[in-house]
Amino acid sequence: MRKLLINISLFFLIAIIIGEIVVRVTHAMSDIPQRTIDEHGIQKYIPNQEGYWKGGDHKWLINKLGWPGVLPESNKNLIMVIGDSFIENFMNPNECHQSAYLKSNMNDYNFMEASRSGVSFIEAMEITKQMDSLNPIHSLIYLDDDDFYESITQIKPMSDITQLDIETNTIKYGEMKSPGLKKILYTWKLMYYFYNRFSLGSLFQPETLNDNSKVKEPEFTTEVIKLIDYVKQNYVTINKTLVFHPNSKKSFIEICKSAGFNTILLDSSNDDSWTFDYDSHWTCYGHKRAAEQISNHLLNSNNQGILNNFNIIKK
Amino acid sequence: MLFNSLEFFIFLPIVFGLYWVIGGKRIKSQNVLIALASYVFYGWWDWRFLSLILFSTLVDYSIGLALGKKEKLKTRKILLWISICVNLGFLGFFKYYNFFIDSLIDSFTFFGSELSINTLNIILPVGISFYTFQTLSYTIDVYNKKLEPTKDFVGFMAFVSFFPQLVAGPIERATNLLPQFSIERKFNYKNAVDGLRQVLWGLFKKIVIADNCAKYANIIFNNHTEYNGSTLLLGAFFFAFQIYGDFSGYSDIAIGVSRLFGFNLKRNFAFPYFSRDIAEFWRRWHISLSTWFRDYLYIPLGGSRGGLKMKIRNTFIIFIVSGFWHGANWTFIIWGALNALYFLPLLLTKKNRINTNLVAEGKYFPTLKELRQMAFTFFITLIAWVFFRADSVAHAFSYLYNMFDTSLFSEIEVLPSTILTLVLFFIATEWLGRSGQYAIEKIDFMKKPIRWAFYILLIILMFSFTGEEQQFIYFQF
Repeated sequence: MRKLLINISLFFLIAIIIGEIVVRVTHAMSDIPQRTIDEHGIQKYIPNQEGYWKGGDHKWLINKLGWPGVLPESNKNLIMVIGDSFIENFMNPNECHQSAYLKSNMNDYNFMEASRSGVSFIEAMEITKQMDSLNPIHSLIYLDDDDFYESITQIKPMSDITQLDIETNTIKYGEMKSPGLKKILYTWKLMYYFYNRFSLGSLFQPETLNDNSKVKEPEFTTEVIKLIDYVKQNYVTINKTLVFHPNSKKSFIEICKSAGFNTILLDSSNDDSWTFDYDSHWTCYGHKRAAEQISNHLLNSNNQGILNNFNIIKK
Repeated sequence: MLFNSLEFFIFLPIVFGLYWVIGGKRIKSQNVLIALASYVFYGWWDWRFLSLILFSTLVDYSIGLALGKKEKLKTRKILLWISICVNLGFLGFFKYYNFFIDSLIDSFTFFGSELSINTLNIILPVGISFYTFQTLSYTIDVYNKKLEPTKDFVGFMAFVSFFPQLVAGPIERATNLLPQFSIERKFNYKNAVDGLRQVLWGLFKKIVIADNCAKYANIIFNNHTEYNGSTLLLGAFFFAFQIYGDFSGYSDIAIGVSRLFGFNLKRNFAFPYFSRDIAEFWRRWHISLSTWFRDYLYIPLGGSRGGLKMKIRNTFIIFIVSGFWHGANWTFIIWGALNALYFLPLLLTKKNRINTNLVAEGKYFPTLKELRQMAFTFFITLIAWVFFRADSVAHAFSYLYNMFDTSLFSEIEVLPSTILTLVLFFIATEWLGRSGQYAIEKIDFMKKPIRWAFYILLIILMFSFTGEEQQFIYFQF
């Protein structure tokens, strides 16, 4: 028995080492950049990192400011592009980022992305505040319905995301969730491969009853109104355009409009190629189409004033 | 609990550790552990099924004891029939009730009248066909005085529910497995390593071969009208390897796991696709079921000893019953009948036992004649598999009709080259290892680094080609 246990242990050790090499060489798992929390409480990435996306077809890049993507050549006529994993866009090469497509459509402007997967609406607003030092003329904030829910502690309490307590009107900054464990998991590629491939994470999640899925999710309109009221009082809204994902709730868009935001609702109807087959994120095609709709909206003669708002405010 | 699930990979080491901590000399305690572990394993699907297996165990244990005491033939016969009726009654109710009702309604409709009987919403208990036949073998053997009835209830309980082979066989005979529960089991390093190797090969067959072939077999079978003949032939080919990889993979895992616990189960597959005629195929495919039917049905019916009529009748009975055992659908019955048709000419010309040795024994390559024979046998089994896989008889005939048109010789429309390469690798490994109990048994004679490199290659292939976790096909039987 002892011999068997020793041999099995040895075999597994060798298998783990070989497995680690295979996973790394074949890029079976994406490299994951490490995060940090800056002095303003914003979770971003440690600057100047790079790595491969799953399969090794392309590399992602974290720039010197700690955001994914390439920095613009100049900050003149700068438009910020803020959002979650859709804007972070590790799954596509740099040339398929929103900033690249927007720049090709609007050559007189420069675009800078500031994104991180899981960013809530309130966190996106906090990011815009921090980005003011770069004097952007406008900000585009990409949102879906969940970004509103995830902004409000009373609806979806999440310790790793910046949220607003709408009872006390206080911001609760997100904390890093098990950073040590995550660092081990992301460094030990084989373990990360197993974790992802076999949904090991789900083993540690409480099971939800099937019946719950049939219950219609409440609208939470009152809570969202309180959130927008807070945003209206604490942030500049006039120089910001909220870009809503296709199929976002019309009621939320109306609430945001009434708070002074410019809004765009993206339209992907009858066009399945916007998203990957295996993932809800946008493909290069989806990004291109989204950027086209946004550029058309911003450059439309009726909306010309949008991009000048910041200058008006400054004057 | 599936063999290819995370739960089982946690469950097995725990049971294995506890089992050998208890030690081989404490047989009763080990049997209690096996019985408990087996009930947990089985109850993982649905705890309500446990009452059935427990009831079946109690009935056959009691009848076994009673048969041991009674000498009067009439009483013994009554006891045997009680066991048969209870076991087959459960099987018939859970597996065949709706089929008979539907068939009855269909035949009334065919003759122009209507019959109104409701079918029932019955869940088929996993593996019921397997443990029913296993317990039946006990009472029949006790009745025939081939076996002394056991007085050890826990041992009997462990025999009926022995988790490695509970849900998909091999169907063990009481004469082989039951006595192993009353003798000391000693840990044997060589046996354990061999068992683990067989488990690894079984997992490879299931995860890499069966599950990946299933993906394409399902696509082609479910959309058969959209494909040309050559693609449909490939679909049948994929199904042939799906069912072989799935079922023989399960058997390998079952046999391998049993060896870890010091038990020896019967061999269930012996490289059937290298058979030179259909009789040889049936000596190599699902051996535990074929021999069960041979010993408990074919021979009692007279076997091949009688005249021409009896031979034909018995051949059809055994193959049709075997088909029906697989499921309550006419497709399985036709699959059985078709195999009977394949087999009869060999039986009647007394050529059914000419290929009893290993094909191309001691050689790397078969002769052209052997190759032709193997190709022909594989081809006719492929035709039969179409009935086995099809959803209905009409589906099977439509599939074959579309397959055997002129497009049979046109370009294949679905050609997953990676999966085909894996199947070729699998066939080559099986061919090279065909003299062993399982394909990679003989690798034991190679040097450790080569062996381990091969095992790691199999593991890498398994992780690289893991599709969606699929149920083992034979669980539904």
